[in-house]
Amino acid sequence: MNYMNKLIAIEWLKIKRYRTFWVLTGLFLLLLPLWNVEVANGFLKIGGAGKNSMNFLSTAYSFPQVWGNLGFWGSIFIMFISILVIIITTNEYTFRTNRQNVIDGWTKMQFLQGKAMLVVIFSLAATCYLFLLGMVFGAVNSGSLSSLFSEFNQVIYFFLLSLDYLGFALFLSVWIRKSGLAIGLFLLYSMIIENILKGIINHYSDKPFGNLLPLQASDELLPFPLMQMAKNLMSGGATLSLTTYAVATLGWCGLYYFGSRQLLLRNDW
Amino acid sequence: MSSVLSIQHISKSYGPIQALRDVSFDVPEGSVFGVLGPNGSGKTTLLGILLDVLLANSGTYSWFGGMDPARARRDIGALLETPNFYHYLSAFNNLEITAAIKQKGTDDRNRVLQQVGLFERRDSSFQTFSLGMKQRLAIGAALLGGPKVLVLDEPTNGLDPAGIAEIRDLIRKLSNEGITVIIASHLLDEIEKVCTHVAILKTGKLLLHGPVDEVLRSEDQVEVRAADMTLLQQSLQAMPGIRKMRLADATLQLTCDASVMPEHINEFCAGKGITLSHLLLKKKSLETKFMELTN
Repeated sequence: MNYMNKLIAIEWLKIKRYRTFWVLTGLFLLLLPLWNVEVANGFLKIGGAGKNSMNFLSTAYSFPQVWGNLGFWGSIFIMFISILVIIITTNEYTFRTNRQNVIDGWTKMQFLQGKAMLVVIFSLAATCYLFLLGMVFGAVNSGSLSSLFSEFNQVIYFFLLSLDYLGFALFLSVWIRKSGLAIGLFLLYSMIIENILKGIINHYSDKPFGNLLPLQASDELLPFPLMQMAKNLMSGGATLSLTTYAVATLGWCGLYYFGSRQLLLRNDW
Repeated sequence: MSSVLSIQHISKSYGPIQALRDVSFDVPEGSVFGVLGPNGSGKTTLLGILLDVLLANSGTYSWFGGMDPARARRDIGALLETPNFYHYLSAFNNLEITAAIKQKGTDDRNRVLQQVGLFERRDSSFQTFSLGMKQRLAIGAALLGGPKVLVLDEPTNGLDPAGIAEIRDLIRKLSNEGITVIIASHLLDEIEKVCTHVAILKTGKLLLHGPVDEVLRSEDQVEVRAADMTLLQQSLQAMPGIRKMRLADATLQLTCDASVMPEHINEFCAGKGITLSHLLLKKKSLETKFMELTN
Protein backbone atom coordinates (compact mmCIF):
# COMPACT_ATOMS: atom_id res chain seq x y z
CA MET A 1 0.00 0.00 0.00
CA ASN A 2 2.84 2.30 0.87
CA TYR A 3 4.34 1.47 -2.52
CA MET A 4 1.16 2.57 -4.32
CA ASN A 5 0.83 5.68 -2.18
CA LYS A 6 4.28 6.81 -3.20
CA LEU A 7 3.50 6.32 -6.89
CA ILE A 8 0.26 8.24 -6.59
CA ALA A 9 1.92 11.03 -4.62
CA ILE A 10 4.42 11.48 -7.45
CA GLU A 11 1.74 11.39 -10.15
CA TRP A 12 -0.09 14.05 -8.17
CA LEU A 13 3.03 16.23 -8.06
CA LYS A 14 3.12 15.98 -11.85
CA ILE A 15 -0.46 17.11 -12.44
CA LYS A 16 -1.46 19.30 -9.55
CA ARG A 17 0.10 22.40 -11.10
CA TYR A 18 -0.85 21.52 -14.67
CA ARG A 19 -3.44 23.89 -16.04
CA THR A 20 -4.74 21.54 -18.72
CA PHE A 21 -5.57 19.01 -16.00
CA TRP A 22 -7.69 21.53 -14.12
CA VAL A 23 -9.38 22.90 -17.23
CA LEU A 24 -10.44 19.51 -18.60
CA THR A 25 -11.46 18.18 -15.20
CA GLY A 26 -13.36 21.39 -14.50
CA LEU A 27 -15.17 21.20 -17.82
CA PHE A 28 -16.19 17.62 -17.08
CA LEU A 29 -17.42 18.54 -13.61
CA LEU A 30 -19.28 21.60 -14.88
CA LEU A 31 -20.73 20.47 -18.18
CA LEU A 32 -22.07 17.08 -17.14
CA PRO A 33 -24.62 18.47 -14.63
CA LEU A 34 -25.37 21.53 -16.78
CA TRP A 35 -26.20 19.33 -19.75
CA ASN A 36 -28.42 17.11 -17.65
CA VAL A 37 -30.24 20.03 -16.06
CA GLU A 38 -31.12 21.19 -19.58
CA VAL A 39 -32.25 17.75 -20.69
CA ALA A 40 -34.25 17.25 -17.51
CA ASN A 41 -36.03 20.56 -17.91
CA GLY A 42 -36.67 20.09 -21.59
CA PHE A 43 -34.49 22.98 -22.77
CA LEU A 44 -32.51 20.44 -24.74
CA LYS A 45 -34.87 18.26 -26.73
CA ILE A 46 -33.25 14.99 -27.53
CA GLY A 47 -35.25 12.35 -29.32
CA GLY A 48 -38.03 14.82 -30.10
CA ALA A 49 -38.58 17.90 -32.24
CA GLY A 50 -40.85 20.86 -32.07
CA LYS A 51 -41.88 22.86 -29.09
CA ASN A 52 -44.68 20.62 -27.93
CA SER A 53 -43.18 17.28 -28.73
CA MET A 54 -42.97 14.69 -26.02
CA ASN A 55 -39.64 14.73 -24.24
CA PHE A 56 -39.04 11.15 -23.17
CA LEU A 57 -35.68 11.77 -21.65
CA SER A 58 -36.83 14.40 -19.24
CA THR A 59 -38.78 11.69 -17.46
CA ALA A 60 -35.65 9.65 -16.83
CA TYR A 61 -34.34 11.66 -13.89
CA SER A 62 -36.18 9.95 -11.10
CA PHE A 63 -35.04 6.86 -9.28
CA PRO A 64 -34.13 4.34 -10.51
CA GLN A 65 -33.84 5.41 -14.22
CA VAL A 66 -31.57 8.30 -13.28
CA TRP A 67 -28.59 5.96 -12.92
CA GLY A 68 -28.77 4.56 -16.43
CA ASN A 69 -29.57 7.95 -17.91
CA LEU A 70 -26.73 9.78 -16.18
CA GLY A 71 -24.46 6.83 -16.92
CA PHE A 72 -25.16 7.20 -20.63
CA TRP A 73 -24.36 10.93 -20.64
CA GLY A 74 -21.34 10.24 -18.47
CA SER A 75 -20.10 7.79 -21.11
CA ILE A 76 -19.95 10.69 -23.57
CA PHE A 77 -18.47 13.23 -21.19
CA ILE A 78 -15.78 10.76 -20.10
CA MET A 79 -14.11 11.70 -23.41
CA PHE A 80 -12.76 14.81 -21.66
CA ILE A 81 -11.00 12.63 -19.14
CA SER A 82 -9.81 10.17 -21.79
CA ILE A 83 -8.17 13.01 -23.67
CA LEU A 84 -6.70 14.22 -20.39
CA VAL A 85 -5.15 10.77 -19.82
CA ILE A 86 -3.67 10.87 -23.33
CA ILE A 87 -2.24 14.36 -22.78
CA ILE A 88 -0.75 13.51 -19.40
CA THR A 89 0.83 10.31 -20.70
CA THR A 90 2.13 11.60 -24.02
CA ASN A 91 3.54 14.66 -22.22
CA GLU A 92 5.97 12.30 -20.57
CA TYR A 93 7.24 11.23 -23.98
CA THR A 94 7.35 14.78 -25.29
CA PHE A 95 9.29 16.03 -22.27
CA ARG A 96 11.26 12.75 -22.15
CA THR A 97 10.44 12.64 -18.47
CA ASN A 98 9.51 8.96 -18.88
CA ARG A 99 13.22 8.43 -19.37
CA GLN A 100 14.16 10.75 -16.55
CA ASN A 101 11.81 8.99 -14.11
CA VAL A 102 13.62 5.72 -14.83
CA ILE A 103 17.04 7.35 -14.73
CA ASP A 104 16.16 8.79 -11.33
CA GLY A 105 15.28 5.39 -9.93
CA TRP A 106 11.90 4.13 -11.08
CA THR A 107 11.52 0.85 -12.90
CA LYS A 108 9.69 0.94 -16.22
CA MET A 109 6.86 -0.92 -14.52
CA GLN A 110 6.55 1.78 -11.88
CA PHE A 111 6.08 4.30 -14.65
CA LEU A 112 3.20 2.22 -16.01
CA GLN A 113 1.75 1.49 -12.58
CA GLY A 114 1.70 5.20 -11.75
CA LYS A 115 -0.34 5.93 -14.85
CA ALA A 116 -2.58 2.90 -14.33
CA MET A 117 -3.29 4.13 -10.81
CA LEU A 118 -4.31 7.48 -12.28
CA VAL A 119 -6.73 5.68 -14.58
CA VAL A 120 -8.27 3.82 -11.64
CA ILE A 121 -8.48 6.94 -9.49
CA PHE A 122 -9.97 9.08 -12.27
CA SER A 123 -12.54 6.32 -12.87
CA LEU A 124 -13.40 6.10 -9.19
CA ALA A 125 -13.66 9.87 -8.87
CA ALA A 126 -15.87 10.16 -11.97
CA THR A 127 -18.09 7.38 -10.62
CA CYS A 128 -18.41 9.07 -7.22
CA TYR A 129 -19.29 12.30 -8.96
CA LEU A 130 -21.90 10.54 -11.06
CA PHE A 131 -23.33 9.01 -7.90
CA LEU A 132 -23.56 12.44 -6.27
CA LEU A 133 -25.27 13.92 -9.33
CA GLY A 134 -27.67 10.96 -9.42
CA MET A 135 -28.60 11.51 -5.79
CA VAL A 136 -29.31 15.19 -6.44
CA PHE A 137 -31.29 14.67 -9.67
CA GLY A 138 -33.11 11.69 -8.22
CA ALA A 139 -34.02 13.48 -5.01
CA VAL A 140 -35.33 16.49 -6.93
CA ASN A 141 -37.37 14.45 -9.42
CA SER A 142 -38.59 11.44 -7.45
CA GLY A 143 -41.46 11.23 -5.08
CA SER A 144 -39.81 8.63 -2.91
CA LEU A 145 -36.40 7.13 -2.31
CA SER A 146 -37.75 3.60 -2.16
CA SER A 147 -36.39 2.54 -5.57
CA LEU A 148 -33.08 4.36 -5.12
CA PHE A 149 -30.90 1.29 -5.36
CA SER A 150 -32.90 -0.93 -7.69
CA GLU A 151 -30.79 -0.04 -10.74
CA PHE A 152 -27.70 0.78 -8.78
CA ASN A 153 -25.53 -1.69 -10.71
CA GLN A 154 -25.53 0.94 -13.46
CA VAL A 155 -23.27 3.04 -11.27
CA ILE A 156 -20.87 0.09 -11.17
CA TYR A 157 -21.21 -0.14 -14.96
CA PHE A 158 -20.15 3.46 -15.22
CA PHE A 159 -17.02 2.66 -13.26
CA LEU A 160 -16.26 -0.20 -15.66
CA LEU A 161 -16.94 2.05 -18.63
CA SER A 162 -14.59 4.73 -17.29
CA LEU A 163 -11.91 2.14 -16.68
CA ASP A 164 -12.39 0.91 -20.26
CA TYR A 165 -12.18 4.34 -21.88
CA LEU A 166 -9.31 5.63 -19.77
CA GLY A 167 -7.42 2.34 -19.99
CA PHE A 168 -7.80 2.40 -23.77
CA ALA A 169 -6.54 6.00 -23.79
CA LEU A 170 -3.52 4.98 -21.72
CA PHE A 171 -2.70 2.04 -23.96
CA LEU A 172 -2.99 4.19 -27.07
CA SER A 173 -0.67 6.81 -25.53
CA VAL A 174 1.97 4.27 -24.59
CA TRP A 175 1.76 2.80 -28.06
CA ILE A 176 1.62 6.00 -30.17
CA ARG A 177 3.63 8.32 -27.86
CA LYS A 178 2.63 11.40 -29.86
CA SER A 179 -0.06 13.57 -28.35
CA GLY A 180 -1.87 14.81 -31.46
CA LEU A 181 -1.84 11.49 -33.25
CA ALA A 182 -3.02 9.59 -30.18
CA ILE A 183 -5.93 12.00 -29.59
CA GLY A 184 -6.85 11.86 -33.27
CA LEU A 185 -6.81 8.09 -33.34
CA PHE A 186 -8.74 7.88 -30.10
CA LEU A 187 -11.54 10.08 -31.45
CA LEU A 188 -11.56 8.38 -34.85
CA TYR A 189 -11.64 4.94 -33.29
CA SER A 190 -14.29 5.66 -30.70
CA MET A 191 -16.61 7.50 -33.06
CA ILE A 192 -16.05 5.94 -36.48
CA ILE A 193 -13.68 3.00 -36.80
CA GLU A 194 -15.29 0.95 -34.06
CA ASN A 195 -18.75 1.49 -35.53
CA ILE A 196 -17.55 0.32 -38.93
CA LEU A 197 -15.97 -2.80 -37.42
CA LYS A 198 -19.00 -3.44 -35.27
CA GLY A 199 -21.30 -3.20 -38.28
CA ILE A 200 -19.23 -5.66 -40.29
CA ILE A 201 -18.90 -8.19 -37.49
CA ASN A 202 -22.55 -8.02 -36.48
CA HIS A 203 -23.63 -8.38 -40.09
CA TYR A 204 -21.73 -11.63 -40.54
CA SER A 205 -22.31 -13.28 -37.16
CA ASP A 206 -25.50 -14.70 -35.64
CA LYS A 207 -24.91 -12.94 -32.34
CA PRO A 208 -23.83 -9.29 -32.01
CA PHE A 209 -20.20 -10.09 -31.30
CA GLY A 210 -19.25 -6.74 -32.79
CA ASN A 211 -20.61 -5.24 -29.59
CA LEU A 212 -17.71 -6.81 -27.75
CA LEU A 213 -15.16 -4.49 -29.35
CA PRO A 214 -13.01 -2.55 -26.84
CA LEU A 215 -15.10 0.56 -26.19
CA GLN A 216 -18.42 -0.81 -27.46
CA ALA A 217 -18.43 -3.55 -24.83
CA SER A 218 -18.78 -0.99 -22.07
CA ASP A 219 -21.04 1.26 -24.12
CA GLU A 220 -23.45 -1.68 -24.20
CA LEU A 221 -23.60 -1.54 -20.41
CA LEU A 222 -25.05 1.96 -20.57
CA PRO A 223 -27.04 2.31 -23.79
CA PHE A 224 -28.85 5.43 -24.94
CA PRO A 225 -31.96 5.49 -22.73
CA LEU A 226 -34.39 5.77 -25.67
CA MET A 227 -32.72 2.81 -27.29
CA GLN A 228 -33.38 0.85 -24.15
CA MET A 229 -37.02 1.81 -24.25
CA ALA A 230 -37.26 0.86 -27.91
CA LYS A 231 -35.57 -2.47 -27.27
CA ASN A 232 -37.98 -3.24 -24.49
CA LEU A 233 -40.87 -2.51 -26.83
CA MET A 234 -39.60 -4.49 -29.78
CA SER A 235 -37.75 -7.36 -28.13
CA GLY A 236 -36.46 -10.17 -30.30
CA GLY A 237 -33.11 -10.40 -32.05
CA ALA A 238 -30.12 -12.10 -30.54
CA THR A 239 -28.47 -10.23 -27.67
CA LEU A 240 -25.64 -10.77 -25.28
CA SER A 241 -26.12 -10.51 -21.54
CA LEU A 242 -24.92 -7.58 -19.49
CA THR A 243 -22.65 -9.95 -17.62
CA THR A 244 -20.97 -10.84 -20.90
CA TYR A 245 -20.36 -7.16 -21.59
CA ALA A 246 -19.08 -6.55 -18.07
CA VAL A 247 -16.67 -9.47 -18.32
CA ALA A 248 -15.57 -8.37 -21.80
CA THR A 249 -14.92 -4.86 -20.47
CA LEU A 250 -12.76 -6.18 -17.66
CA GLY A 251 -10.99 -8.41 -20.15
CA TRP A 252 -10.14 -5.43 -22.34
CA CYS A 253 -8.86 -3.49 -19.32
CA GLY A 254 -6.54 -6.39 -18.53
CA LEU A 255 -5.34 -6.42 -22.13
CA TYR A 256 -4.63 -2.68 -22.11
CA TYR A 257 -2.46 -3.12 -19.06
CA PHE A 258 -0.70 -6.20 -20.35
CA GLY A 259 -0.25 -4.69 -23.81
CA SER A 260 1.19 -1.47 -22.38
CA ARG A 261 3.52 -3.51 -20.22
CA GLN A 262 4.84 -5.43 -23.22
CA LEU A 263 5.32 -2.24 -25.21
CA LEU A 264 7.20 -0.58 -22.37
CA LEU A 265 9.42 -3.49 -21.44
CA ARG A 266 10.36 -4.49 -24.96
CA ASN A 267 11.19 -1.14 -26.46
CA ASP A 268 13.90 1.43 -26.00
CA TRP A 269 12.76 4.59 -24.25
CA MET B 1 40.37 -0.02 -5.76
CA SER B 2 36.95 -1.66 -6.00
CA SER B 3 34.71 -0.78 -8.91
CA VAL B 4 31.35 0.97 -8.75
CA LEU B 5 30.39 -0.24 -12.19
CA SER B 6 31.31 -3.33 -14.12
CA ILE B 7 30.37 -3.67 -17.78
CA GLN B 8 30.53 -7.08 -19.43
CA HIS B 9 30.33 -7.69 -23.18
CA ILE B 10 27.59 -5.20 -23.96
CA SER B 11 26.40 -5.15 -27.57
CA LYS B 12 23.54 -3.17 -29.04
CA SER B 13 22.24 -2.61 -32.51
CA TYR B 14 19.61 -0.31 -33.96
CA GLY B 15 18.37 -2.41 -36.84
CA PRO B 16 21.31 -2.81 -39.20
CA ILE B 17 23.46 -0.31 -37.32
CA GLN B 18 25.75 -1.82 -34.73
CA ALA B 19 25.93 0.83 -32.01
CA LEU B 20 28.03 -1.09 -29.48
CA ARG B 21 30.21 -4.14 -30.06
CA ASP B 22 31.18 -6.25 -27.08
CA VAL B 23 32.14 -3.43 -24.74
CA SER B 24 33.60 -4.39 -21.36
CA PHE B 25 35.34 -2.29 -18.72
CA ASP B 26 35.19 -1.41 -15.04
CA VAL B 27 34.86 2.00 -13.46
CA PRO B 28 36.96 2.23 -10.27
CA GLU B 29 35.47 3.87 -7.21
CA GLY B 30 36.46 7.48 -6.77
CA SER B 31 37.67 7.92 -10.33
CA VAL B 32 36.70 10.58 -12.82
CA PHE B 33 36.04 8.33 -15.75
CA GLY B 34 35.88 9.83 -19.22
CA VAL B 35 34.01 8.02 -21.96
CA LEU B 36 35.36 9.45 -25.18
CA GLY B 37 34.44 9.06 -28.75
CA PRO B 38 33.47 11.02 -31.83
CA ASN B 39 29.82 11.72 -32.60
CA GLY B 40 27.91 8.49 -33.10
CA SER B 41 30.49 6.31 -31.40
CA GLY B 42 27.97 4.89 -28.95
CA LYS B 43 28.67 6.94 -25.81
CA THR B 44 25.08 7.91 -25.14
CA THR B 45 23.83 4.45 -26.12
CA LEU B 46 26.17 2.91 -23.58
CA LEU B 47 25.06 5.28 -20.82
CA GLY B 48 21.41 4.74 -21.79
CA ILE B 49 21.87 1.01 -21.30
CA LEU B 50 23.61 1.49 -17.97
CA LEU B 51 20.69 3.64 -16.84
CA ASP B 52 18.10 1.13 -18.05
CA VAL B 53 16.35 3.30 -20.62
CA LEU B 54 17.82 1.36 -23.55
CA LEU B 55 17.95 -2.40 -23.92
CA ALA B 56 21.21 -4.15 -24.73
CA ASN B 57 21.06 -7.02 -27.21
CA SER B 58 23.54 -8.90 -25.10
CA GLY B 59 25.88 -8.38 -22.19
CA THR B 60 25.40 -7.33 -18.60
CA TYR B 61 26.39 -4.58 -16.22
CA SER B 62 26.29 -4.22 -12.49
CA TRP B 63 26.35 -1.20 -10.23
CA PHE B 64 27.91 -1.28 -6.76
CA GLY B 65 28.79 -4.96 -7.01
CA GLY B 66 25.37 -6.18 -8.09
CA MET B 67 22.82 -3.94 -6.38
CA ASP B 68 19.26 -3.97 -7.77
CA PRO B 69 19.53 -1.58 -10.74
CA ALA B 70 16.56 0.64 -9.86
CA ARG B 71 17.77 0.88 -6.26
CA ALA B 72 21.25 1.69 -7.52
CA ARG B 73 19.93 4.46 -9.77
CA ARG B 74 18.52 6.27 -6.76
CA ASP B 75 22.14 6.74 -5.65
CA ILE B 76 23.27 7.80 -9.10
CA GLY B 77 22.81 11.34 -10.33
CA ALA B 78 22.50 11.25 -14.08
CA LEU B 79 22.13 13.59 -16.99
CA LEU B 80 21.51 11.73 -20.24
CA GLU B 81 21.51 13.50 -23.59
CA THR B 82 19.05 16.31 -22.83
CA PRO B 83 17.67 17.97 -19.70
CA ASN B 84 14.29 16.27 -19.20
CA PHE B 85 11.78 18.15 -17.08
CA TYR B 86 8.09 18.98 -16.92
CA HIS B 87 7.89 22.16 -18.98
CA TYR B 88 5.04 23.68 -17.02
CA LEU B 89 6.63 23.21 -13.60
CA SER B 90 9.16 25.51 -11.98
CA ALA B 91 12.73 24.43 -11.32
CA PHE B 92 11.84 24.01 -7.67
CA ASN B 93 8.78 21.86 -8.33
CA ASN B 94 10.58 19.76 -10.90
CA LEU B 95 13.21 18.95 -8.32
CA GLU B 96 10.46 17.92 -5.92
CA ILE B 97 9.57 15.11 -8.32
CA THR B 98 13.21 14.12 -8.73
CA ALA B 99 13.63 14.00 -4.95
CA ALA B 100 10.45 11.96 -4.52
CA ILE B 101 11.54 9.34 -7.07
CA LYS B 102 15.00 9.17 -5.55
CA GLN B 103 13.36 8.98 -2.12
CA LYS B 104 15.57 11.79 -0.85
CA GLY B 105 14.47 14.78 1.15
CA THR B 106 13.20 17.86 -0.66
CA ASP B 107 15.16 20.16 1.66
CA ASP B 108 18.24 19.63 -0.49
CA ARG B 109 16.75 21.59 -3.36
CA ASN B 110 17.97 25.04 -2.39
CA ARG B 111 21.51 23.79 -1.97
CA VAL B 112 21.72 22.25 -5.45
CA LEU B 113 20.00 25.22 -7.07
CA GLN B 114 22.57 27.50 -5.47
CA GLN B 115 25.34 25.19 -6.58
CA VAL B 116 24.31 25.47 -10.24
CA GLY B 117 23.44 29.16 -10.01
CA LEU B 118 19.69 28.88 -10.49
CA PHE B 119 18.52 29.79 -7.00
CA GLU B 120 17.15 33.17 -8.09
CA ARG B 121 15.21 31.54 -10.91
CA ARG B 122 13.87 28.63 -8.90
CA ASP B 123 10.24 29.67 -9.26
CA SER B 124 10.40 30.21 -13.02
CA SER B 125 8.89 27.46 -15.11
CA PHE B 126 11.27 25.19 -16.99
CA GLN B 127 9.98 26.31 -20.39
CA THR B 128 11.25 29.86 -19.77
CA PHE B 129 14.83 28.66 -19.29
CA SER B 130 17.62 29.10 -21.82
CA LEU B 131 19.48 26.03 -23.04
CA GLY B 132 22.31 26.68 -20.61
CA MET B 133 19.93 27.09 -17.69
CA LYS B 134 18.16 23.85 -18.56
CA GLN B 135 21.52 22.12 -18.59
CA ARG B 136 22.33 23.64 -15.21
CA LEU B 137 19.05 22.43 -13.78
CA ALA B 138 19.76 18.92 -15.06
CA ILE B 139 23.14 18.98 -13.34
CA GLY B 140 21.47 20.30 -10.20
CA ALA B 141 18.94 17.46 -10.33
CA ALA B 142 21.79 14.98 -10.67
CA LEU B 143 23.39 16.39 -7.52
CA LEU B 144 20.19 16.13 -5.50
CA GLY B 145 20.40 14.01 -2.39
CA GLY B 146 24.16 13.49 -2.56
CA PRO B 147 24.69 10.73 -5.14
CA LYS B 148 27.54 8.24 -4.89
CA VAL B 149 28.06 8.33 -8.64
CA LEU B 150 27.45 11.05 -11.19
CA VAL B 151 26.81 10.14 -14.81
CA LEU B 152 27.13 13.16 -17.05
CA ASP B 153 26.52 12.93 -20.77
CA GLU B 154 27.99 15.98 -22.49
CA PRO B 155 27.50 18.10 -19.36
CA THR B 156 28.81 21.31 -20.90
CA ASN B 157 26.35 21.32 -23.81
CA GLY B 158 24.93 24.77 -24.21
CA LEU B 159 27.02 26.30 -21.45
CA ASP B 160 29.03 29.48 -21.86
CA PRO B 161 32.79 29.45 -21.15
CA ALA B 162 32.21 30.51 -17.54
CA GLY B 163 29.65 27.73 -17.17
CA ILE B 164 32.08 25.19 -18.61
CA ALA B 165 34.75 26.27 -16.13
CA GLU B 166 32.22 26.05 -13.29
CA ILE B 167 31.29 22.50 -14.24
CA ARG B 168 34.93 21.53 -14.41
CA ASP B 169 35.52 22.96 -10.93
CA LEU B 170 32.40 21.23 -9.68
CA ILE B 171 33.58 17.87 -11.01
CA ARG B 172 36.97 18.33 -9.33
CA LYS B 173 35.33 19.29 -6.08
CA LEU B 174 32.94 16.33 -6.12
CA SER B 175 35.76 14.00 -7.02
CA ASN B 176 37.72 15.27 -4.02
CA GLU B 177 34.71 14.42 -1.89
CA GLY B 178 35.01 10.83 -3.08
CA ILE B 179 32.18 10.82 -5.61
CA THR B 180 32.79 8.78 -8.73
CA VAL B 181 32.11 10.75 -11.90
CA ILE B 182 31.46 9.16 -15.29
CA ILE B 183 31.55 11.75 -18.00
CA ALA B 184 30.91 11.25 -21.69
CA SER B 185 32.12 13.87 -24.06
CA HIS B 186 33.65 14.59 -27.42
CA LEU B 187 35.26 17.72 -26.00
CA LEU B 188 38.64 16.25 -25.16
CA ASP B 189 39.97 19.35 -23.61
CA GLU B 190 37.22 19.18 -21.04
CA ILE B 191 37.90 15.54 -20.24
CA GLU B 192 41.67 15.82 -20.20
CA LYS B 193 41.60 18.48 -17.54
CA VAL B 194 39.61 16.46 -15.05
CA CYS B 195 39.74 12.75 -15.83
CA THR B 196 41.74 10.10 -14.04
CA HIS B 197 40.59 7.30 -16.34
CA VAL B 198 39.37 7.10 -19.91
CA ALA B 199 37.68 4.69 -22.26
CA ILE B 200 37.78 5.50 -25.94
CA LEU B 201 34.99 4.33 -28.24
CA LYS B 202 34.85 4.38 -31.99
CA THR B 203 31.81 3.19 -33.95
CA GLY B 204 30.75 1.10 -31.00
CA LYS B 205 34.08 -0.55 -30.35
CA LEU B 206 36.12 0.02 -27.23
CA LEU B 207 39.56 0.99 -28.54
CA LEU B 208 41.30 1.24 -25.21
CA HIS B 209 40.68 2.07 -21.59
CA GLY B 210 42.60 2.65 -18.41
CA PRO B 211 44.17 5.38 -16.27
CA VAL B 212 44.86 8.55 -18.23
CA ASP B 213 48.61 8.53 -17.60
CA GLU B 214 48.87 4.93 -18.80
CA VAL B 215 46.82 5.52 -21.88
CA LEU B 216 48.81 8.63 -22.67
CA ARG B 217 52.16 7.32 -21.49
CA SER B 218 53.33 7.22 -25.05
CA GLU B 219 55.81 9.52 -26.65
CA ASP B 220 55.96 13.26 -26.33
CA GLN B 221 56.19 15.36 -29.40
CA VAL B 222 58.47 18.15 -30.52
CA GLU B 223 57.30 20.84 -32.90
CA VAL B 224 59.76 22.63 -35.15
CA ARG B 225 59.54 25.31 -37.79
CA ALA B 226 62.10 26.93 -40.02
CA ALA B 227 62.12 29.24 -43.01
CA ASP B 228 62.76 26.37 -45.40
CA MET B 229 60.52 23.56 -44.31
CA THR B 230 61.57 21.18 -47.08
CA LEU B 231 65.18 21.46 -46.17
CA LEU B 232 64.31 21.03 -42.49
CA GLN B 233 62.37 17.90 -43.19
CA GLN B 234 65.12 16.41 -45.35
CA SER B 235 67.78 17.19 -42.81
CA LEU B 236 65.88 15.78 -39.86
CA GLN B 237 65.29 12.53 -41.66
CA ALA B 238 68.96 11.88 -41.11
CA MET B 239 68.80 12.55 -37.40
CA PRO B 240 68.93 9.47 -35.16
CA GLY B 241 66.23 9.04 -32.53
CA ILE B 242 63.42 10.54 -34.54
CA ARG B 243 60.77 7.96 -35.13
CA LYS B 244 58.06 9.78 -36.93
CA MET B 245 57.60 13.05 -38.70
CA ARG B 246 54.42 14.76 -39.69
CA LEU B 247 53.96 18.07 -41.43
CA ALA B 248 50.85 19.91 -40.31
CA ASP B 249 49.98 23.60 -40.44
CA ALA B 250 53.47 24.45 -41.70
CA THR B 251 54.89 22.88 -38.56
CA LEU B 252 56.87 19.70 -38.39
CA GLN B 253 55.72 17.40 -35.61
CA LEU B 254 58.40 15.00 -34.47
CA THR B 255 57.91 11.87 -32.43
CA CYS B 256 61.23 11.10 -30.82
CA ASP B 257 62.88 8.62 -28.54
CA ALA B 258 62.90 9.60 -24.90
CA SER B 259 66.63 10.37 -25.14
CA VAL B 260 66.11 13.11 -27.69
CA MET B 261 65.72 16.51 -26.08
CA PRO B 262 64.76 19.72 -27.83
CA GLU B 263 68.29 21.06 -27.43
CA HIS B 264 69.61 18.07 -29.40
CA ILE B 265 67.34 18.92 -32.25
CA ASN B 266 68.34 22.54 -32.12
CA GLU B 267 71.99 21.57 -32.13
CA PHE B 268 71.52 19.13 -34.99
CA CYS B 269 69.73 21.70 -37.13
CA ALA B 270 72.29 24.39 -36.36
CA GLY B 271 74.94 21.96 -37.51
CA LYS B 272 73.11 21.67 -40.84
CA GLY B 273 72.93 25.44 -41.13
CA ILE B 274 69.23 25.68 -40.38
CA THR B 275 67.94 28.25 -37.93
CA LEU B 276 64.77 27.15 -36.17
CA SER B 277 62.05 29.75 -35.86
CA HIS B 278 59.99 27.56 -33.55
CA LEU B 279 60.90 24.78 -31.16
CA LEU B 280 58.39 23.40 -28.74
CA LEU B 281 58.21 20.30 -26.58
CA LYS B 282 54.64 19.16 -26.51
CA LYS B 283 53.30 16.72 -23.98
CA LYS B 284 51.12 14.41 -25.93
CA SER B 285 47.57 15.60 -25.57
CA LEU B 286 44.56 13.42 -25.32
CA GLU B 287 43.38 15.08 -28.46
CA THR B 288 46.38 13.89 -30.43
CA LYS B 289 46.01 10.40 -29.08
CA PHE B 290 42.35 10.46 -29.81
CA MET B 291 42.89 11.61 -33.37
CA GLU B 292 45.46 8.91 -33.90
CA LEU B 293 43.15 6.26 -32.58
CA THR B 294 39.97 7.30 -34.25
CA ASN B 295 41.25 8.29 -37.67
